Amino acid sequence: MIQNTSKDPFILRRYLSLATKNLRRRPVRTGLTVAGVALAVTVAVSLGGFMLGYSGAIDKSIDMLGFQVMIMAKGCPYEAATMMLKGGTGLLYLPGDTYQKVKNDPDIESITPIFVGVAQKQGSSIRDEGSASNFTIISGVDVPSYKIMKPWLTFKKGAGYANGRWFSADSRDEVVIGFEAAEYEQRKVGDTFYASITPNGSPEPVMHEFKVVGVLDRTGTQDDGTVFMPIDVAREYFNRPSQLTILGIKLKEFSSFKLREFETRSLKLPEVQVVGLQQVKNTLISLVSTAQTMIAAVAAIAVIVALIGVINTILMSVYERTSEIGIMKALGARRGSIFQLIWLETLMICLVGAVAGSIMAVVGSGLVERAIKAMADLGVSGSIVRITPAVIGYAVFGAVILGFFGGLYPAWRASSMRPVEAISKGA
Amino acid sequence: MNDIIIEAHGLKRYYHRGSETVKALDGVDLTIRTGEIVSILGPSGSGKTTLINLLSCLDAPTEGTLLVAGKSVAGLSEDELVEVRRGVLGFVFQQFSLLPTLTVAENVELPLMFLGRRADPGRTAQVLQMVGLTDRASHLPQELSGGQMQRVAIARALIMEPRILVADEPTGNLDKVTGESIIQLFKKLASEGLAILLTTHNPAFGYEADRAITLEDGRIVKEEIVRELAVLLVN
Repeated sequence: MIQNTSKDPFILRRYLSLATKNLRRRPVRTGLTVAGVALAVTVAVSLGGFMLGYSGAIDKSIDMLGFQVMIMAKGCPYEAATMMLKGGTGLLYLPGDTYQKVKNDPDIESITPIFVGVAQKQGSSIRDEGSASNFTIISGVDVPSYKIMKPWLTFKKGAGYANGRWFSADSRDEVVIGFEAAEYEQRKVGDTFYASITPNGSPEPVMHEFKVVGVLDRTGTQDDGTVFMPIDVAREYFNRPSQLTILGIKLKEFSSFKLREFETRSLKLPEVQVVGLQQVKNTLISLVSTAQTMIAAVAAIAVIVALIGVINTILMSVYERTSEIGIMKALGARRGSIFQLIWLETLMICLVGAVAGSIMAVVGSGLVERAIKAMADLGVSGSIVRITPAVIGYAVFGAVILGFFGGLYPAWRASSMRPVEAISKGA
Repeated sequence: MNDIIIEAHGLKRYYHRGSETVKALDGVDLTIRTGEIVSILGPSGSGKTTLINLLSCLDAPTEGTLLVAGKSVAGLSEDELVEVRRGVLGFVFQQFSLLPTLTVAENVELPLMFLGRRADPGRTAQVLQMVGLTDRASHLPQELSGGQMQRVAIARALIMEPRILVADEPTGNLDKVTGESIIQLFKKLASEGLAILLTTHNPAFGYEADRAITLEDGRIVKEEIVRELAVLLVN
């Protein structure tokens, strides 16, 4: 009996090394199995990133609106809210005196009226060919109250953007442009901006020429793609002199109780609805939850298929190595040693697949985001896929846990082989 | 000192194939001592491999008693049998069964991993020297000839310092000259006190042993003392 060797403190490393070498004996088969796991993990990580990113994007978009409550014309509140978050057409309007009736409510901390219209950019942009968007969202705002609501709005600085400022309330030919709109139109401070506005009731659009007096810094919200002008001027150009699109309101105390109280008082006004933005958020999330459930089901199926692939691969490997396993047993391997070896092989496939899948998900997150945005209107601006270390951690952990359980059967089969039969089968 | 390593009495191994009972081994008595080479001869199906599997605790007898290093192995669990094998028996198989992705040295050290022991490079070099493969330690099995692979398999068995080397058709896949060199290696190892039990189809190799046992239909039909057991006298 061997006497002159000591216990090996790195025994696990030796098992890992042997498991790795065993897997490398069939590189194509191992590679395909790892690819299957990687694909499933890519789907799972992308889905997790989407769930997290979308929720965060909604939060950010709503927070960056600056107000907690909106009063708007009756209609689908969520369509209207979505429009407010990301822009759109099909606008409904409030009677202009709603502002006067609401602004003195005792629970209101601040309030800002907003008029939104859609203008055509005929001939205004050097990019108006082909697929380029032909519409610009015009936001008529009351600058003092709008600035209170959104104190983070600042003007872009640097060459061509110096001396950015807001327009005065009666300025008829000045606009401030959001960051992305300015980039898209390639406009700087002092440039001319053209917008073709169709007045309400008129079949023909009217071309207006404006001077850009300021370009806003990026906010990551719909403001980035908006062109701002004085609210009264916007109402005049759109021929809706006594109408509003929304009233943005910040309450002194924001709670569901206060919101209900405020809603009760406001709903006495004709043709209005009160929408709490938390409610909008919940609804937007629920709107995509069905799609998320379906994607999650697809991801789960992909994971199950990948796991079956892993089990199949390891079982094939075990059957191919029947004789070898028998000989290992003859050489002194206990059942536990064989179990450990085969189990490690399974875990390694899952771990490598999970890491590869996570990398693929991170690298491809931009593509996934573009695909999701192309397929569905999610009602938010900014990034909707956010792959965090926690998302990756959960995915890798999940894959290893699946490998943990998936490896049990092949490992048990291998360790249960009787050496004499295993050796004779392989002979 | 007790120099008996394996002692078998009335060993039987029956298999059931449907309603038929196949008597693979039908009452074998055998004793193997330190330093002797025992060969088992016989045609295919005579029970050679069955006997060697029983004697090396890879299979359990249907009937009979078997003592390995003085310990009865009847009724032992698989893991207990592993312990018996680890302490006494080294194995060499016809098909070499080296792991293709491990180097010669790593293949030799493999049994130590199952024992949870750290490999000693000095000891590995020593056993490779014993089988004449010192310069092949870092080679992969595919870079070796059949005879060299069998020598690696022998070194792998020797690393565990067994008392008996069990070799099932160790020359079966080798040409005559290479097979002869393996037999000579066995003789050298036996001269150092290792008992060797081998099966072979080749009578020429079988009669190189100290004792040649011929099996037919699961029974010993002939047992010949080929040469005096000088090692026994030494002990």
